[in-house]
Amino acid sequence: MNKKLGFLGFGVLFGFALSRVGASEYDLIVGMFIGQDYKLAWVIVTAIIVGFAGMQVLKKFSRPVASGEPLKISYKELKRWSIPGAAIFGIGWGISGACPGTVLTQVGEGKIYGLFTMAGMICGTYIYARLKESRPDL
Amino acid sequence: MIAAILRSIFVEPWPFWAGGVVIGMLVPLLYYYFNTALGVSTGYGNLVKIILPSKNLQWIKAKFAETWSWRVFFIIGIVLGGLISSIFSGNFGFTAEMGRFTSIAQWPAPANAVYFFVGGSLIGLGARIAGGCTSGHSIHGIANLHFSSIAVTIFFLIGGIIAANTVQSLFLGGAW
Repeated sequence: MNKKLGFLGFGVLFGFALSRVGASEYDLIVGMFIGQDYKLAWVIVTAIIVGFAGMQVLKKFSRPVASGEPLKISYKELKRWSIPGAAIFGIGWGISGACPGTVLTQVGEGKIYGLFTMAGMICGTYIYARLKESRPDL
Repeated sequence: MIAAILRSIFVEPWPFWAGGVVIGMLVPLLYYYFNTALGVSTGYGNLVKIILPSKNLQWIKAKFAETWSWRVFFIIGIVLGGLISSIFSGNFGFTAEMGRFTSIAQWPAPANAVYFFVGGSLIGLGARIAGGCTSGHSIHGIANLHFSSIAVTIFFLIGGIIAANTVQSLFLGGAW
């Protein structure tokens, strides 16, 4: 499968599922944080369980990767600033009621302020790139 | 029968488990087809390069050699997925609403725009420092039982709980 076309298709499926389940709703995300509505937490928990089960099945295959190369699971190291970074991310998540995936779904649905959240995410990534010039440990 | 199934897929809101199953299946499917981890936020580095191609930043140059990589196509796909979903369900439309934030706070539009831009900036910066976002860490990482992703996700949630409750009490009248 062509990787770019494949990711375009899986992206459509991802965005469709996020939108249908309501993950692009400000109220649903914020509702989870203020203890009002835990639907989104259950979506995430279900996704983790299904993802875990799927990975176990995949590892049983004689060819876990279609191309025949060995399965290479990416591990994200915990670095010195990972935890403060996670807290910064969380604060932004609670303010905007969106994350890097769901904001794209908001934009697709026509939510104008989603565009501002998305522009902010690009800006935040740019700020990281600037900081990284002088702080390689970030 | 078929009409009812199509209706529950395209029109009715999904129950939590339907979203969880489809999103969770992406983790093994992306490994099977592409030997690649699910993740969205790294692709915002591609968007920085597309928007500011003349900026000479080491991290962008080293990590995003291919400007229009699969990550950009994934991002475009997610936008299209939201568009398709909202068209079929009849919810598509350009709207300046953002749930109870815009309905209760009643700020002027530029203030709302700054508010969401600031929130987004913290997400973009935090995701890069933490090494991933909700999809890469919280779903892909925890599904693979990675300790770092569990630790990071706990702090995603702590930050979200603090920020959402602060916004709630400062601007949204406290009560839900």
